[in-house]
Amino acid sequence: MRDDAGLRPFSLLSPAVLVITIGLLLPMTMMFRFSLNRYSANELMTQALTLSNYARFFGDAFYLGILAKTIAVALASTVVALVLGVPAAYFLARLSTPRLKSALILMTVVPLLMGNSVRTAGWMVLLGDRGLCNAILIFLGIREEPLRILYTGKAVLIALVAAILPYMIISLQSVLEGIERVYEEAALTLGAHPATMFRRVLLPMLMPGIFSGSLLCFILAMNAYATPLLIGGPTFQMMAPLVYQQLTKVFDWPFASSMAFVLMAVTLASVVLSSVFIQNRYGRL
Amino acid sequence: MAARMRALTGRTAFLASVGLAYLLVLAPLIAVFWVSFFRNKIIAFPPQGYTLAWFANAWSLDDFRNGFVLSVEIGIVATIGSLLIGVPAALALARHDFRGREAISAALMSPLIVPGIVAGTAVYMFYIEIETWTDVQLAATLPGLCLAHVVLALPWTVRLVTASLVGVNRLVEEAAMTLGAGPALTLWRVTLPMIRPAIVAGGLFSFVVSFVDLEKSLFLVGPGRTTLPIAIINYLEWSIDPTIAAVATIQILIISAALLLTDRFVKLSRAF
Repeated sequence: MRDDAGLRPFSLLSPAVLVITIGLLLPMTMMFRFSLNRYSANELMTQALTLSNYARFFGDAFYLGILAKTIAVALASTVVALVLGVPAAYFLARLSTPRLKSALILMTVVPLLMGNSVRTAGWMVLLGDRGLCNAILIFLGIREEPLRILYTGKAVLIALVAAILPYMIISLQSVLEGIERVYEEAALTLGAHPATMFRRVLLPMLMPGIFSGSLLCFILAMNAYATPLLIGGPTFQMMAPLVYQQLTKVFDWPFASSMAFVLMAVTLASVVLSSVFIQNRYGRL
Repeated sequence: MAARMRALTGRTAFLASVGLAYLLVLAPLIAVFWVSFFRNKIIAFPPQGYTLAWFANAWSLDDFRNGFVLSVEIGIVATIGSLLIGVPAALALARHDFRGREAISAALMSPLIVPGIVAGTAVYMFYIEIETWTDVQLAATLPGLCLAHVVLALPWTVRLVTASLVGVNRLVEEAAMTLGAGPALTLWRVTLPMIRPAIVAGGLFSFVVSFVDLEKSLFLVGPGRTTLPIAIINYLEWSIDPTIAAVATIQILIISAALLLTDRFVKLSRAF
């Protein structure tokens, strides 16, 4: 094929690049600039070049506490998702009936793309005082009174794990599909206990999937909005709802911008750190 | 004997954790689907009977009907927009080698990395700034929402179509050219038909990610102009009843149908 150097790719790409620039890159740059401005009660925002918004965030125990809580919740839900995701992904990858396998893949991917509002409604049905879980507990005689699950940290953790688990399963499954079964069989016929085989043979080969899956889950959990807001209730504070309130209720644009950037920086830092780690340890992927 | 017992316990524990994982993933969707048919006005288990009345009730509420229509409209625009600009971009990325290719590819994928709430904040302030400078209102308007959703959908289209183009045998295109077809005819009659499954899948994916988006749209909707997922969470802040379950069920059915259709063109497991 002829290649009229440079001109064709340029014209093919320019609409997409233009849309991304106007719709994301410019707004992000502008937001970073705003985060260095100053808030004033009567003018809302005054031009400045100051780090005071970041200083305010990191100097205030209230905001630091919310950041720490967000990171802790995201880490905890990622770990639980990993522990539950490995067996599920292994089961999925080693299924030998093609029909069952594609059905199970659909059952993983469809919930993943279902959207958080629907999932949140589901958890409210399940975990509420008159919800299905409490109805079962009372029916079985385990509890007399309904157990308070909704509007607690535990409920947030359960709902977050459920939301990120499909991502974990798909990430691990794609790596497991590439690991041939002969490695497992070799270890087992040589007398290794299944647990030893898993730890010494499968786990090292699965590491890239564990990292990419955990990373994706951590990012999603860090930035969760609907789950902490509706499942956690008004007293359960995480970063994403806080940014939203700051922007739409307090109208403090500079501070909201700096908080959005802190949230994004933590997210990006984890991306960079883990990709450096993976490349050092396992070579370029 | 003891070893066999241990192996059996191990296998049971393994299957139990697989079951637990899928229970967590599927339970909320199944629960909301089930409750939407309950006859009782207040959710209680077991139900007193079943009815379809809540679907009619949901449709009679302006917030949900308008939200549904708006979400469908935005979804269609996001689909068409992301295909119109995404397919040419994928052609350039897959078929040409030029300086800055990696950087442009990363830029086009960036909507996948920037969290929705962060992107929403930035785009909202950007729209307001544009309004102050030019008097063109974008926040809380259909064009503003559509632009944000095209950005959201674009990486999926570019990724699916690029992957498909890489797998196309270029000899077929070269044969068409040698036989006298010009570049435009070759593209239209040979290349595009070969990547049709990826184009269809990219379009359907665009519709799905646009339809379910919550975090990014949150900032860009206005009074009386709310997408379906936002109408759902606004309602959930006050109450949970069979009506909202019916609305959620409609979203479950639409998204499932779109994804089952996608799966016929490109295997869903390969879309990630």
